Amino acid sequence: MSDAQRPIDDGVPSEQPSTGGAGGGDGDDDNDEFEPVQVFPEAEEMDLRPGADSCYKCSTCDTNCPVAEVDDEFPGPKFQGPEQWRLKRQDDHDIDESVMKCSNCMRCDSACPSSVPLSQMHNTARAEYVEENMSKLSREYLRNRMLANYRRLAPLASMFPRTANVVMGLSVTKWLGEKTLGITSEREFPEFATETFREWWTDRGGAKVENEDKRIAYFHGCYSNYNTPEVAKALVHVYEHFGYEVMVPEQSCSGTPMFANGMLEDARRAAETNVRELAAAIEDGADVIASCSSCSMSIRQEYPELFDFEDTETVAANTWDAVEYLRVHEDLTGALENTAVGDEFDDMAYHAPCHSRNQGLDGQTIEVMDAIDGIDAHDVGDSCSGISGTYGWKEENYETSMKIGEEMFEHMDEAEAETGLTECPTCSMQMEHGTGYEIKHTLEVLEAALGGDGAENGAGSGSDTDAGTTTATESI
Amino acid sequence: MAHDTAVLVLGGGSTGCGIARDLAMRGVDVTLVERGNLTDGTTGRMHGLLHSGGRYAVSDQASATECIEENEILREIASHCVEETGGLFVQRPEDSDEYFREKLEGCRDCGIPATVLSGREARKVEPYLADDVSRAIQVPDGAVDPFRLCVANALDAERHGARVETHAEVIDLLRDGDDIYGVEIRHDSGPGKRTHKSPGTTEEITAEYVVNATGAWAGQIGAMADLDVAVRPSKGVMTIMNVRQVDTVINRCRPKGDADIIVPHETTAILGTTDEEVADPDDYPEEQWEVDMMIDTLAELVPIVEEARTIRSFWGVRPLYEPPGTGTQDPTDITRDFFLLDHDERDGVSGMSSIVGGKFTTYRAMAEEISDHVCAKLGVSATCTTAEDPLPGSENISVLEEGMDDFGLRSPIARRSNQRLGNRAADVLETDEPNPVVCECEGVTRAEVQDAIDQSGSDLNAVRIRTRASMGNCQGGFCCQNMATELHPRYDEETVREALDELFEERWKGERHALWGEQLSQAMLNYALHATTMNRDNDPANGSTQVDYAQFDGGA
Repeated sequence: MSDAQRPIDDGVPSEQPSTGGAGGGDGDDDNDEFEPVQVFPEAEEMDLRPGADSCYKCSTCDTNCPVAEVDDEFPGPKFQGPEQWRLKRQDDHDIDESVMKCSNCMRCDSACPSSVPLSQMHNTARAEYVEENMSKLSREYLRNRMLANYRRLAPLASMFPRTANVVMGLSVTKWLGEKTLGITSEREFPEFATETFREWWTDRGGAKVENEDKRIAYFHGCYSNYNTPEVAKALVHVYEHFGYEVMVPEQSCSGTPMFANGMLEDARRAAETNVRELAAAIEDGADVIASCSSCSMSIRQEYPELFDFEDTETVAANTWDAVEYLRVHEDLTGALENTAVGDEFDDMAYHAPCHSRNQGLDGQTIEVMDAIDGIDAHDVGDSCSGISGTYGWKEENYETSMKIGEEMFEHMDEAEAETGLTECPTCSMQMEHGTGYEIKHTLEVLEAALGGDGAENGAGSGSDTDAGTTTATESI
Repeated sequence: MAHDTAVLVLGGGSTGCGIARDLAMRGVDVTLVERGNLTDGTTGRMHGLLHSGGRYAVSDQASATECIEENEILREIASHCVEETGGLFVQRPEDSDEYFREKLEGCRDCGIPATVLSGREARKVEPYLADDVSRAIQVPDGAVDPFRLCVANALDAERHGARVETHAEVIDLLRDGDDIYGVEIRHDSGPGKRTHKSPGTTEEITAEYVVNATGAWAGQIGAMADLDVAVRPSKGVMTIMNVRQVDTVINRCRPKGDADIIVPHETTAILGTTDEEVADPDDYPEEQWEVDMMIDTLAELVPIVEEARTIRSFWGVRPLYEPPGTGTQDPTDITRDFFLLDHDERDGVSGMSSIVGGKFTTYRAMAEEISDHVCAKLGVSATCTTAEDPLPGSENISVLEEGMDDFGLRSPIARRSNQRLGNRAADVLETDEPNPVVCECEGVTRAEVQDAIDQSGSDLNAVRIRTRASMGNCQGGFCCQNMATELHPRYDEETVREALDELFEERWKGERHALWGEQLSQAMLNYALHATTMNRDNDPANGSTQVDYAQFDGGA
């Protein structure tokens, strides 16, 4: 409104009798108490400049960045985060394209001695870059959108898993993938399971244990549903062994691949579903458990950093990694004492995923494995596997990804083991790709040790498991 | 008697540089001398507000009108030094409605575009404004970089034939009876660009006319010729925040008071200020409580500043003046108008005028009026063109905005560099040489630093004010040495070392007022880095005894 048209007395759109009241001005101002300082409906409106206050430029983040280590062109997390944000003005939208080279391993978050919200800055900047600077018709955008939304394609493939696996494995498919989409032809596409976890769960008739006092809501994520249902089943068996009632709420992708590709709106939609469903489960007395380290990371850290749905914080605060939860709430090592596993698992090369490391969980698997007779788990060190979700799938990142992974491959090779062990689906792809080893999930080993393995498949009924569970629970 | 120059301008602040440019553009032979670096006095120690006039719209409408006129001119002639941030006068519940109304009426009386925003609308503009800000008046305040503006004036003066001597302190006024005919100066390192370690010299410069534009120091200069210039220096504190909490100038809408403004300035925000008369503009206490009080008070407007990181604080001295006999007690009430004291009319001493009072935003109009006066004295009839002719860097700004080149730099660095350099960007940044970033905090590249060294010699503080290098959150911890390295091989090791010391000491001067929280960590890290990587805690090369380097080679 032009000032000329506006009488001075009309200065405030609607005068209130008292100027003393908080929020004063507008007549329709009821919401004024809920000031939008913390509420950023759109990522591109987020102002993270104050986060740069914590940075004193020590560069520890840069020295811990696996991408910067192998790619001299990548300016590193300090530039991507606090420096770039500090140089921004409100209306600036030109984010440097190098942010797309960040793999979102989030190691910088853990490395920073001063709690700079680095990955939050990177995620937000990346979203802004994609929104403002990347053509929505470009091959890169389409490819990234597809990779980020793998979950949308997976159900199709799952309908015809065998056909899909054959087609995906064809060299012509890979060639097309690389030529038309820029997805590297060097990698084998993960196989789709003939039966998804959720199909299995429905066929099974859901939970076998009911327990008002011990409930978990299982966030299985996409990969263990469509590709490795054996991991999800292992979780069910292990948790039922300890007497938990397992709930499997409706869920969407955790958002991890969407964050990494700057598809923040896609991630927001997915997160909204997840927060709503998981909050309902928490309301029913459950804690949220994830078997994938990136899923738990996303719910615990990225959701509260990037979104502000009702209950976001509650869901974040009540989400756990599957092994961590048992270590805290059960006597896991006690239960594992005097257990043994078959030859399938003896010597294992363990890689802690970056996203476990960021949650402070990088030491737990070795400790848990030590309690099981006959297993020798070797930690292959603290390097990054290099694949970082969809990152290593991109043609332009493949070489960088393999360079980063080199240290891990070497250590796996040196370790006395022919089997790999990890909790992250894409780390496991990279481990397999680099060494040819078969890669297991920690929950699969626990399942074997605790004796739940194969009970259902063999007998076609869950009664054995239930009996076993009851005994074990009582004995704890 | 032949003079060395027609007009000698004393003082390298905004007024002095503005006068030098104005006269030079009129074809007058002019020389400017400055005790330190350009902007070392009050110009370099202000909050960088480009007034819309809103601040004076109630108390001093003549100043307000002049402000809005000059504001509009500077947006045109100095667009690369000005950021059109807009400004808000915000009202808190305890602030008077009556004054709010007067402010709004005053703005409109003075031709200052003013729009009222509700509290919610204001928070939409600036999300970090306090919840209980009830309403605001939106005005066209802006942010201006006083350093670059002043340098651009000096540069343009030189292009028009002026001689500009920095680090040349006036030690005496040359007076013959009732005529002042020049000054004696002491060069810090000889005439021309500054070179550390060069021996100083003195020089007499004679002139047909002397303009004393030394602001708060005008009294000291006057005293050299037994003239009484009763300038009343008044100090104000300003605190620099690490990041911009606001992108709009935030003023408190109340009659007067300390700590009532936040100006977004480049990558930072500057909190201001206080107003307290001091006896000596070179020697006054800088006290922590002034900083604390300011942060606390401004947190009422923008609560986040309470917890936010400050990187330094500095004090500036206003050159307030009022005609003898006015007798105003509170310096806040002294007019911000400027006064031209013609010592011939006033004291019967010809050959010199002194300028006192005034404010940065109207420096150009002041310079025009003074130049008119001087031209009348000299019988020069040329007219002023400074309101139309853009300053170097702003000559062709529309072309620049249409197609901002990145010169191979990462986007935010290219954007900031382009904004600092204006249309000089291509000249400076187009290079076949590698162009790494020298100052990471402010995104300053080697090419820009080299360009500044071309202008100012071995003086790294002069490089700093031209480029912003070392003005970010590390306060030089990570870049001072890189900047110093850029002096080599043009300058030898000893010169480089001295220039580095001088820059880092200057950075420390302001940073020591921010030693808590994050900036304390920063200072500790800087110290540790400098001590362990450059021996700067106790460098034997700085000592008087020769270092026996052979001892090291021998493994001692």
